[in-house]
Formats: sequence, structure tokens, C-alpha cells
Amino acid sequence: MQITAKIHLTRASGFTLAVDLTVKPTGVTALYGPSGSGKSTVLRLLAGLEHTKPSDPILISSDDQIWHDEKQFVPPHLRDIGYVFQQPQLFPHLSVRGNLEYAVKRRRGNQNLTLQQVSGWLGINHLLDARPTSLSGGEAQRVAIARVLLSGARCLLMDEPLGAIDYAARLQILPYIDGLRRVLDIPIVYVSHALDEITYLADEVYMLEKGRVTANGRIFDLASSLTLNSHEGEAVAAVIEGVVDSHDPDYGLSRLTLSSQSIYVSLCNQPPGTKVRLRIPARDVSLTLQAPIQTSILNVLKGVVSEIETASAKPSLLVKIKIDDHYILSRITRKSLTQLELSPGKAVFIQIKTVALLTDPTQQVAPLS
Amino acid sequence: MRVISPQWYLNLLSQPDITAIFITLQLALTSTVLLILLGTPIAWWLARSRGVAKIIIEPIIALPIVLPPTVLGFYLLLAFAPDGIIGQWWLLATGKGLAFTFSALVIGSIIYSMPFYVQPLQVAFENIEQSLLDAAATLGATPLDRFLSVVAPLSSRGFITAICLAFAHTIGEFGIVLMIGGNIPGETRVLSIALFDHVESMEYGQAHVLALGLLAFSFTLLALVYTLNRRWQMRFASQS
Repeated sequence: MQITAKIHLTRASGFTLAVDLTVKPTGVTALYGPSGSGKSTVLRLLAGLEHTKPSDPILISSDDQIWHDEKQFVPPHLRDIGYVFQQPQLFPHLSVRGNLEYAVKRRRGNQNLTLQQVSGWLGINHLLDARPTSLSGGEAQRVAIARVLLSGARCLLMDEPLGAIDYAARLQILPYIDGLRRVLDIPIVYVSHALDEITYLADEVYMLEKGRVTANGRIFDLASSLTLNSHEGEAVAAVIEGVVDSHDPDYGLSRLTLSSQSIYVSLCNQPPGTKVRLRIPARDVSLTLQAPIQTSILNVLKGVVSEIETASAKPSLLVKIKIDDHYILSRITRKSLTQLELSPGKAVFIQIKTVALLTDPTQQVAPLS
Repeated sequence: MRVISPQWYLNLLSQPDITAIFITLQLALTSTVLLILLGTPIAWWLARSRGVAKIIIEPIIALPIVLPPTVLGFYLLLAFAPDGIIGQWWLLATGKGLAFTFSALVIGSIIYSMPFYVQPLQVAFENIEQSLLDAAATLGATPLDRFLSVVAPLSSRGFITAICLAFAHTIGEFGIVLMIGGNIPGETRVLSIALFDHVESMEYGQAHVLALGLLAFSFTLLALVYTLNRRWQMRFASQS
């Protein structure tokens, strides 16, 4: 299912929303922005849950069916979508199993996941006979995700699904959602104001502010964009994707491939061939002109300077480096820039001190079969 | 010692009184069933609507609570007369007059008991979060399915209260019945009228039998409602 939306909306409060967006048939399209930016409203419009005035020009269609324009409105129960709310919204009069069966009974399409598969996968087997009120926030949200998976949705809409649960539970659930992205053949629209969730999950990102799209593109391009990151502080980090190549348990390391070069990370348990995301903080990346010899830094890559931040007043600035077809960022001082005579096109060696694997190594998500 | 049983109680009653009780139960049952069919959509609409119409409809529904039954009965009597708004239409449709019939009592009871049915249900409906219904909709549930599978079970307390109040209230009705029903044995002579007749004729013994019976019935019904409500309250106590 591919969804296109052209939304122009004016609220009585004066808030206006003007968003054009395309949800590709696979992968995660993320709407990222501060609260009040209108991202949840966009999601609710895609679901058909938001009421609009007839005068608001809105055109939402999926494949070749019109969902919402001035003449037509397809109600939510006919849109074949699944929605994960910030609060789990489990039915309190039904047990966990009853909640899951509710979705199975009303299943759309010919999707054939069973209740046992999904509850085993989300680790809620032991909760099936519990009442929703007795669950923790994280457990309840896992049940809500399981329920949506069983409903045979052809597109998953997730509205800050981790927004109401504590940090530890968030870390537990993220890999499950990442797993959905990998094994489900349906698009996911993911709304969040948390950058770590976006870098972890998103393929395509729409950045929203005050009802407008301020940037749009692939997560890898946005994360390495100098203009988007120039006002960010120490936390600036590029996100790249590598493929697990081999494991070295003796040293506690795993080797990943980035196009023609390789990079070491702490031992992970993803099987070779798995695509994983890496987060590389700009302040942990240093540049040299000669190949460093006898260095304690394990990850030394070859690259080419692609772009340099033109902030004249600050003592440090960001440099964007191209490594084969990946981009990473390095934060260096203005003095180093002058000493190394860096300019776009110049070949450099990149030393990376820390690399964080975004996929949680403690969580092995088995593929749905 | 005599055993207090239904049989014992029935033996205390005269045949006309038994007929009155039967008519009363028939009236209460018919009105309650019709109230469930008519009042439920009204309660749902009042709970969800935010329009101007609600400002008008809501007090109209509640009027019988504050209005003396005789006022309502008077207007209904006028409306039910063969040349009244409803009576005219009824005559055309059925070929019979409406005033002083069992049907007139049913219509009057529905109007008179409407707020007692609608209000508890409206409160129950208002307590159901819209987001829960949104969740059901995005799981593929149609509006009717959402009502039956989510709203109805979550409002079971409201339904119990509403049904019992409407039923009990119809049984205890007097003023309107007096105005629009008259006192026709086997047709419109209900319990409260029979009781009034006994008092008028100084038959205090028989009045006691009916009054005590009504008292015991009302007490039992209310005790049942409160017990059921408490049980439900405990079941959903920690709901958010």
C-alpha cells in the first residue's frame, strides 16, 4: 500500500497544517518534530480519525483509492490500517487474549499470522489470561502491537508508541518495532519527537515544525546534513548502515562491512549478512592526512571531504566526509581545519573512537515465519 | 406461623387487584423494552453530540423529572384526544381512539420514564473514552460492532441502572395514568390507581397489601441495582 497525502488544514485556534507526504510501500516513514508540530494530526488524518471542515483542502489516497477529499471520506474501519496509540487502548472488559481475539475476528485481508506466533514473538505468552489493568506500560504496549499485527492491517500507523512508557521498557520494545520493519512487507508510519527512535527505525524522515515540513529525505542523508546539524550541540551523530560480516568472540568484536571497507563494533549476535545501523558521534571522529600507524584506534577508514560547515565564529565546526557511499560527520576545531588545509575533495583518513550499534545486541528478534 | 411466599401474598389479593398488578407489570415491561430501543440511541447521541440541538433536546428529555406528572398528563390528554396531534394520527392509523387505552399508557410511560432511562446511560456513555472506540475502528470494527463489542459491555452498569429505574418508575407512576388512562379495569387500572381506590373507599387492609407489596418490590429492586453496581465497580476499579 502506498499512501499520498496533501493536507491543508486550518484550526479555529489559528493553527495551520500544510503537509505533502508520500508513504512508500515498504519501510518506515517517520514524522519527527516537537510537540505541537502537527505530526500526530497528520497521522490521525491518514487513519481517518480526525474531523475536518469541508473547506479544508485535503487529498489523501492509497494506491488508486481516494480516502479523503472534498467529496469522499472513507471511515477508519474501511481503510485497512492499524494504529498504535501512545496509550495502549486495550479493551478493559476483555483479557489480553480477548483483546487479541478481537483483532483476529475482524481481520482484514488474507494475512495468516496466528495468535500464538505473534504473542510468542512479542513475549506476551505468559500474559494472555491477565486483565489489561494489571499490565505494566511496556507490557500493555506490546499487547497493543500484537493486536494490531493480528488485525491484518496493510499499513501500520504508530503515534508515539513509546511516548508513555519508561526508559527501560522503551529499550525493550524498540527492537520489536525494528523487527517489524525487517519482517513485515507493509509500510509503517512512525510519529515521534525522540531522535533516538527516529535514527533507530526510520528509513524516510519528514521533519515537521509548526505545521510545515522543514526537511524530508532518507535518514542517512538527514543525519549527516550540515545545515540540519549546525545548531545541534555535542550530540551530533551520523547514522550509517553496515552489514554484519564476521564475529570474533575472543576479542569481543564483530566486523561489519561498509561497502568496500570494514569497521569493528562490540560483539553482537546478529548473524552474518544482517543489516545493522551504526551511530557515529561527530566528536568521536578525528581526521588525519596520513594513514595513522601504531594507533590504538581500531577503526581507521579512508574517505574524502565532502562538505565543510561555514560557521566562522565558532571554535569547532562539522566536516562531512564521504566513505564510499556513506556519509559521516567529524567535529574538528577551526585551527585543525586550517592546519590540515581541508577542502572539499581532499582525501583523508578517518579515525573513529566509538561506534554504537543501534540494534540492541541483547535482543535477538527471530523472524516471523 | 405463616410462611411468607408468593402464594400467600396472592391469597391476600382480590381478583381486581391481581388484574391491576398484571396490567402494571405488562405496562412496565412494554415501556421498558421500548425505552431500551428508543432511549439508547438518544442517550448515545446526547453523550457524543456537541451541537446546538443538544442544548434543546437535553432539557426536553429531563422535563418529566421536575414537571408535576399532572401537567404532563394534561398535555398528553389533549394530544391523545381524537382531535389532538397524536390522537388524530392514531385514529387514522388504527381506526380507534387513543385516550384511555393501554397504548396511551405505554406512550405516556415512555415519555415520563425517559429521563430515568436516558440519564444513567448517558453518564455511562460519556465515561467511555473516544480513543478506545478509535482503536476498535482501526481494528476494523464497524460503528454498530463498536457499540455492541465495546460500548455496551463497558456500560453494563449504566444499562442495569437505567433499565431498573425505568421499570420501577413506570410501576410507581400515578399522576399521568390518572389523567390519560382513566380507571378501566383490565385496560388501564394499574397498581397505584387500585391503591388509591382502596384508600378512597377506606379499605385500608387491602391498601396495606398493595402498598407493602410495592414497597418490598421497590426495595428489592434498588438493593439489587446497588449490589450489581458495586460488583462492577470492583471489577473495573483500577481502570484508567
